Amino acid sequence: MDNKKSNQEIDRRDFFKKAAMSVTALAGTSLISSNARADDPAIMHHVPWGQVWGDPVTKNRYGLPSKYEHNVVRRNTKLLASGNFRASIAVTPIQESMGIITPNGLFFSRSHGGVAHVDPHEYRLMIHGLVEKPIVLTLEQLKKYPSVTRTHFIECPANGGQEWRGPQFNSVQFAKGFMSCAEWTGVYLKTILADLGLKPEAQWMLAEGSDNSEMGRTIPIDKVLDDAMIVWGQNGEALRPEQGYPVRILLPGWEGNLCVKWLKRLEFATEPWYCKEETSKYTALKPTGKAIQHFYANEVNSTVTSPSPEIDWTNVKEGDLIEIEGLAWSGMGTITGVDLSFDGGENYTEAKLKGLVLPKSWTRWSYIYKIPKNFQINGKQLLLTSRAMDDAGYIQPTIDQEVSVMGVESVYHRNAVETWEVNAKGEVNHVQIRS
Amino acid sequence: MFKLDRKLLTIASTAAALAIITAGCMGGSASTSTGNTTEKDGKATIDGGSTYPVVNDKTGPYDVNPQVAADAPKIFNGRVPTANELAAWNKDVMPDGTGLPEGSGSVEEGEEIYESKCVSCHGDFGSGGGGYPSLSKGNAYELQKTLTNNRWKDPEADGPVRVFGSYWPQVSTLWWYIRDGMPHPKSKTLTDDEVYALVAYILNINEFEINGVEVDDEYVLDRKKFLEVIMPNVNGFEPNIDGPNALNNVRAYYANPKNFGAIKVNPSDRCMTNCQDKSAKIVHIKNGGIKDFLPPMSDKRDLPKEKVVLDVKAVYTDNCAMCHGNGVGPAFANPSEWTPYTSKGMDKVYASAIHGTDGGMPPKGGSTLSDADFKSVVDYLISGK
Repeated sequence: MDNKKSNQEIDRRDFFKKAAMSVTALAGTSLISSNARADDPAIMHHVPWGQVWGDPVTKNRYGLPSKYEHNVVRRNTKLLASGNFRASIAVTPIQESMGIITPNGLFFSRSHGGVAHVDPHEYRLMIHGLVEKPIVLTLEQLKKYPSVTRTHFIECPANGGQEWRGPQFNSVQFAKGFMSCAEWTGVYLKTILADLGLKPEAQWMLAEGSDNSEMGRTIPIDKVLDDAMIVWGQNGEALRPEQGYPVRILLPGWEGNLCVKWLKRLEFATEPWYCKEETSKYTALKPTGKAIQHFYANEVNSTVTSPSPEIDWTNVKEGDLIEIEGLAWSGMGTITGVDLSFDGGENYTEAKLKGLVLPKSWTRWSYIYKIPKNFQINGKQLLLTSRAMDDAGYIQPTIDQEVSVMGVESVYHRNAVETWEVNAKGEVNHVQIRS
Repeated sequence: MFKLDRKLLTIASTAAALAIITAGCMGGSASTSTGNTTEKDGKATIDGGSTYPVVNDKTGPYDVNPQVAADAPKIFNGRVPTANELAAWNKDVMPDGTGLPEGSGSVEEGEEIYESKCVSCHGDFGSGGGGYPSLSKGNAYELQKTLTNNRWKDPEADGPVRVFGSYWPQVSTLWWYIRDGMPHPKSKTLTDDEVYALVAYILNINEFEINGVEVDDEYVLDRKKFLEVIMPNVNGFEPNIDGPNALNNVRAYYANPKNFGAIKVNPSDRCMTNCQDKSAKIVHIKNGGIKDFLPPMSDKRDLPKEKVVLDVKAVYTDNCAMCHGNGVGPAFANPSEWTPYTSKGMDKVYASAIHGTDGGMPPKGGSTLSDADFKSVVDYLISGK
């Protein structure tokens, strides 16, 4: 075997040498008709894994990604590292995401007191307050309610929130990866409430977690009776601990922080609670000095994900036809269209949506593009800007439009268009177009 | 007969048509291609976004089982909690004092607790640091005035100061969070009096007054005084969420995109050419930006550099035991069965193990270990150690 390997290495070196020679020799000759090119050893030789037993099926009772994919991981930065990474966030590598589902191991992870590990046997959910009949449920009892399955993204409203005053992250993972999308299974809260007898004076619901920060948020009754879910399933399996195992609340389209994890208690009342994370944080300060509280929905948003600073166009050349891809999402509805600009938002053309287009879900968009010389148009470097619209009628603002109302101190809910500059080498840089 | 059937058929189709119309009406104005509406029961949605009423057993693109809505009022899968259970969990503290227990604590006691349990993260006098929040930056009443600071025109200007004293609208939040969430690594370990003492200390370092009285170093806080605290920024938030009209306030707020920096447009009217402000220009990342990414950014598909620790027992179980533990080939840790082979020299045994034999031994037992590692497995197979 050792012998074979060293032969292959020699062949490989030989291949690249020959290939280099043939490029010189074949200038002007049709590549297709060429017989003179070197043969690819990856084809000409038995591959190492093709001649030995693979793993037995008994290995990895819970399957793992290929070890070659070890760089596709959640990442964090010290800027967002409070509490020794307990009150912190690790973000999703959306530059590597495919389709509209985030695998559970890559789903962004945010907690306010660390990831709790809940014993399902000791799990209890209590629903009380302004209901005729309060209830306590074990996990088993909760899961006996008729279930629904829905695909929704969850987004931290601070996604992009480090860049109000200018771009800081040359990375789509950090600029836009404070979000993920999954297929969730659980029960509509209204289904459980149907029997409990919600009193008419109830306006608000407290959702409280059982983690060490007892993270809680106040939720208006409108959402509770619309599409709020209590979920225990994520992409066909139990919630991961990072997502609140065994149970979290899911408020489709709304701030991730409102989707309380390790859910313990729901209480109904006439007045709101003023929980720590709905006043001290998760409020958007405007130039008027007033801050928006109870800022529920993540507004319509989009970004190019391919190319990206992480996976750029340095191996792409003039004339290549290549797919520009991206994500669009809106917590206020369904994506109805995405426009793409090559000059930073000065002029737009329509991109195509592809795959399933679902409410309050990641939506894929695509545009087939012919690479211009030096990645330039009219002597200017390409500036890729996407702009999405939703069925509630919203469209992404320009940075200037958004800042004119929100200022630059909001931290949360930034959804202005994002721009990615492609330089003459094909490298991609995060920029902003603003006054 | 024929006529009757026809008549029945007509009635049936009329009923079906009516059902569709009725369902459409019940669902509000759900006539768009996505099945959405931004109004429900004649009111704007609470978040200004779309909702997807159930029409013809569908909500948006999803089919729903209509039996669920019909039968849900008959499903009660749990039990009613006991009074003690309710009391044990229903401990939230609201601005009007609901849930706030009696008790008291002094600034002096609070400082002592702070120095022993809080200072390592929140810093001297609540100055913060290391990613942990500051609890004070000075006089709360003065700092509240910084909330109109905005660095959009002058990046070098001072920003707004958002700490407990200057920003939070309700003091109840502080009491509740300290009791349930602090100290961060060991929460829910403080007594109610200790919580009062810590709150007193934090009011002190933020230079608060309660009912005209300065919270000085001698101050003793109790429930009654606590409920008299008025936060400097109590009116600093919108929309108004207090009182019986709260939800209407919220609906009205989000019905106006101008309130929260959003833009609504008829798709056919959106700008497609010459859209940018003339003053807009390209802004690049300054000074390299933030790039302390952990782990470092990479899209390489190389093998990870981690050193794999060889577990000979696991390799034996996965790769060897099916034969050597089942009477095929010399048995695990059985010297008398191995002697005929080992007596010819271990080099030969290793060579057979690594390259396989005509007798059915697969190379390396089907593993992908290095030669050296597989020799260790062979040693374990023969000796049991």
